[in-house]
Amino acid sequence: MKQEDNVSVAPGEAVGVVAAQSIGEPGTQMVLRTFHTAGITSVVTTKGLPRIIEIVDARKRPKFPIMRIWPEKEIAKRYEKVREIWRKVEEVKTSAVISNFEEDLKAGTMLLHLDREKMGLYELSAKTIISKISKKEGTDASMAGDDIIKVKYKAKSVEATRKAFVEILGMAIVGIKGIIKANVQQADDGSFYITTSGSNMEEVINVEGVDKDMLYSNDIFEVYRVYGIEAARNIIAYELTEVIKDEGFTVSQRHIALVADGMTFTGKIKSIGRHGVAGEKESVFARAAYEETVKHFTNASFFGERDMLKGVAENIIIGKQIGLGTGLVKLEVKKEDLKKIKPKND
Amino acid sequence: MQAETIDYIKFSTISPLLIKKMSVAKLTTSDPYNEDGYPIDGGLMDQRLGVIDPGLKCKTCGGRAKTCQGHFGHIELVRPVIHPEFAKTIFLLLQSTCASCHRLLLTEAHVNEIRPVIKEFVSGEEEVSTVDIGTLTNTISEQDSRMLLIKKLKAVKKCPHCEAVQPKIKLERPTFFYMNGNKLKPDEIRDWLTKIPDGDLKLLGIDTTATRPEWLILTTLLVPPVNVRPSITLESGERSEDDLTHKLVDILRINQRLEQDIDAGAPQIIIDDLWELLQYQVTTYFNNETPGVPVARHKSTRPLKTLAQRLKGKEGRLRYNLSGKRVNFSARTVISSDSNLTINQVGIPRRIAENLTVPLYVTLWNIDEAKKFLENKEYPTILNVIMKDGIRKRVTEVNRDELLKGLAPGQILERQLVDGDIALFNRQPTLHRLSIMAHIVKVLPGRTMRLNAAIALPYNADFDGDEMNLHVPQSLEAQAEARYLMQPKDQILSPKDGRPMAFLQEDEILGIYFLTKDDTYFNKEDACSLLANIGIYELPKASKGGVYSGKAVFSMLLPKGLEFRVTGKDEKAVIKDGELEDGTISEKMVGTGGTLIAKVFEDFGSDVAIKFMSQMSRLALGLVLKKGMSISIKDYYNSEAMNQKRAEIVKTIEAKAREIVVKYKEKKLEPLPGYTRKETLELVLMAQLEEARRLGENELNEFSSVKNNAFLIAKVKARGSILNYVQTSIFLGQQSIRGRRPSRGFAKRVLPYFRKGDTSPDAKGFIKSSFFDGLKPTEFYMHAMGARDSQMTKSLITAVSGYLQRRLVNAMQDFYVDKNLSVKDASGALVQILYGGDGVDPTKEYIKYGK
Repeated sequence: MKQEDNVSVAPGEAVGVVAAQSIGEPGTQMVLRTFHTAGITSVVTTKGLPRIIEIVDARKRPKFPIMRIWPEKEIAKRYEKVREIWRKVEEVKTSAVISNFEEDLKAGTMLLHLDREKMGLYELSAKTIISKISKKEGTDASMAGDDIIKVKYKAKSVEATRKAFVEILGMAIVGIKGIIKANVQQADDGSFYITTSGSNMEEVINVEGVDKDMLYSNDIFEVYRVYGIEAARNIIAYELTEVIKDEGFTVSQRHIALVADGMTFTGKIKSIGRHGVAGEKESVFARAAYEETVKHFTNASFFGERDMLKGVAENIIIGKQIGLGTGLVKLEVKKEDLKKIKPKND
Repeated sequence: MQAETIDYIKFSTISPLLIKKMSVAKLTTSDPYNEDGYPIDGGLMDQRLGVIDPGLKCKTCGGRAKTCQGHFGHIELVRPVIHPEFAKTIFLLLQSTCASCHRLLLTEAHVNEIRPVIKEFVSGEEEVSTVDIGTLTNTISEQDSRMLLIKKLKAVKKCPHCEAVQPKIKLERPTFFYMNGNKLKPDEIRDWLTKIPDGDLKLLGIDTTATRPEWLILTTLLVPPVNVRPSITLESGERSEDDLTHKLVDILRINQRLEQDIDAGAPQIIIDDLWELLQYQVTTYFNNETPGVPVARHKSTRPLKTLAQRLKGKEGRLRYNLSGKRVNFSARTVISSDSNLTINQVGIPRRIAENLTVPLYVTLWNIDEAKKFLENKEYPTILNVIMKDGIRKRVTEVNRDELLKGLAPGQILERQLVDGDIALFNRQPTLHRLSIMAHIVKVLPGRTMRLNAAIALPYNADFDGDEMNLHVPQSLEAQAEARYLMQPKDQILSPKDGRPMAFLQEDEILGIYFLTKDDTYFNKEDACSLLANIGIYELPKASKGGVYSGKAVFSMLLPKGLEFRVTGKDEKAVIKDGELEDGTISEKMVGTGGTLIAKVFEDFGSDVAIKFMSQMSRLALGLVLKKGMSISIKDYYNSEAMNQKRAEIVKTIEAKAREIVVKYKEKKLEPLPGYTRKETLELVLMAQLEEARRLGENELNEFSSVKNNAFLIAKVKARGSILNYVQTSIFLGQQSIRGRRPSRGFAKRVLPYFRKGDTSPDAKGFIKSSFFDGLKPTEFYMHAMGARDSQMTKSLITAVSGYLQRRLVNAMQDFYVDKNLSVKDASGALVQILYGGDGVDPTKEYIKYGK
């Protein structure tokens, strides 16, 4: 007696509400788990309810952007090659390769004590550091002893000198801006890949040896800029799935997909909320019943807007049956059929 | 009943002319009543504006309080004032039109040129590029294209029509305008706005049939009818007026004074002051929370609730009265459980059933049935008769016979609720659609509503004082929908993931464990009584010695043909052709999220599954009832060996913690990526100390047996968890605040009982005592801190997730599946081409795809 026939959705089904509830309801329960062991992971990301809100809000930048960079197939199993990509990707600041520094603001000089160990880690030579620093206008860098670089900067005021020195310390010697930390990791099949804290798809995609089809970032807008709206949709759906799975809930993929589609079907990313999907509805009543009631009414009257009363909220407000579910269809009885019904004569 | 069909609702502003047309009375007197307490003509309580007192007649339409919907009046303002809600709009209009010729500061060609650009910007990238058309070079950040266009006009310096140089317009919140530093009076603004030609406004997207901008400067004020602002007569006979009336009185008073002063030829300064005061009164009349305006208050210093406050927010007209409405035919009371009901039933107290009614439409077919009800003098009787002309008559002993005689098809009888009726049952918060389901009514004695505990899960209900709501659908259409679509048997597969939402709980799980564990055997008598109790009058095959195994008894419930197999480390169950051959049925199979129940649902459908569950539930409860189960303090008592082991665990944990600290001090601790060394220490320590609980669990598993009832119920997951047991019997373990160890309090220490900079685990919330032994004072503080933290995060996140839910629902509530299985929104826009990519119902996913 297996019921394999008719598994399709019923036309009229309020799938939007169902999807919203299916994602919102586990949200309320994410609270109640007090004792969860804090696992220590190599890459820090936002998790749980805050991350869901971050995605749904369509924030311009996640709090903890991350990337996964896969090398091209041919070099994926060669550690040295992957390591080369890593070297080009991770942003190394001047301050990261020195042990300490001395500055003489009046003279406009700064002594950088190099940390050979750290330099070795990033495979940097003093020469590259000097050449990088010298690129800054008005700066002059040279070796002054074994592990010391002397930096000279001519400026009018002490403040300007200090500012320049701070800039030099925060300068990227190698790597891509925004990639705070990168690690080479090994996948199950033996190939290597790179995970990063911080994300910059626009530049990483141009690094030689990076597989452009496998590049991953959790920054929705960055994916949108680089790969387009379809990719952004997929990222939204994937990220939501991961968060929900992480918290130990199961939610059908179709609900998550609907949220992602609802956020992107117009061709640009819209947030769920006042400034996005809910705030840009056609119906004046639907918007007014949600938030910023007075603003929506005054604007509507000024521009002479019409509410066509198609949606759910409007019809509830005017007291009409909603056009979803069983309200989508109307029943009609043929007049001649009515005549066939006759009461029993008693 | 359905509202009459409305095609659409158009919003517009009201012109002064229309106000005068709508108005039935010009109001001039600020006193609403004369000395006798009688409404003054031309006062705010003018009887032409409608009636609120029963018995009086409306002077305009002649209707009574119930039939007269009220009539508007108007006030003629001596000097025009600015409508505060439109101040910003007026400002934009002033900026976009020429100060001398009042034309739009763009030629038509310009507007047409800029339109596509604006569209591009609105739909595409933002904040990045600049528009470069003529003199317009400005970055675009606004969302609304119409507003956008207006904003861009700010940049124009010279009028393209008359070449006049544009002055600088300033808006000082809320309603004061300045042109090149000089004040612009409302009448001057009005003249300016009047002169903007219709054609130019159209270019801005303004519908001139809905709005002429000069209407935004008020010369006449519409006064709402009295039934919008009813006055209340207090017990003392004093009249208490509505906030709106108070505000209107203020407006009238200032208006009168202004008129007198102008007539008397008072100096300009005095007139201007009064004018400004009039502006203030009108501003607060519209919105008493306008930024930059002092709040108008009642005598009792309570802020007045004016027009905007009536509409806004959760308690405002829209969300409180329009999106959510009060209903009749509903009941609410405490719930309790009743395992004798099916999950489709709800037990209703007699008192409630007597008060709720269902309409009985009298026809030729059911007139006899109707007669029987009407004849009844007690419980299942008729409360009201609605005659053919719509008049509702209450049935009393006096008129019962008369009504019986007059009973005819076409009448509607309001019948009391009886067994078999359908009712919607709901528990708040209504987080998902399973929070409202339709149940079959069963009228019971008592004062609580009852439901089967198995169906409590989707409602998220328990019986510690929870209350639930009941609604009785009135129309036949609604009843049919409820009956055929909304019953638990049709809803039990959760739309969230397609898994069932009704399971066994607590005692039932314990019962199933007792029943199906390996050494359970019953004699014939016991087996008979157990099975007869659930309506099975056959015995399973007896095993050797004429006894009946628990597994065989359990197998009586399984549907024939069921194949189920779990072979894990902790649990095992093999069911072949509806026969439990080996293993024990565990919580994982029949408890929340149970695999066995899900399997029965998938293979046999909801009817079989529900029958299976209710039989299982009653069988298990019957067994537990016989066997008995209790826990005592003795169950938590530790043996000497356990105490020794506990000390050992604490010792190793402390040693490991010390090791980490030493490593840190010697700077040998590698920092985790993205963390400083100090943060790393905390993280590593925290993880290490939380490990203690796991060790405690191991100890318990090693020392305790199922002979210990407290351990047993935790082990079979009937009630409580091993963690509870660890905390009562072994130790509480590490306390946490915001996911970290407690760290704040005093200088360099959490509590003053520790030395400064103490690195031992106890100094930062590691509790070595158990609830059984009792906590040391320092531990008690740590525990209290942790408890407080978890309370706070809990309440915070419920608020956050509640808002998330509201946003999600609001954003997506209009999405529906169309006939071709595509998903569309209210405006008909296509969201998905095929729902979910395959058009499959989420509740039927498992049927289609399996696991």
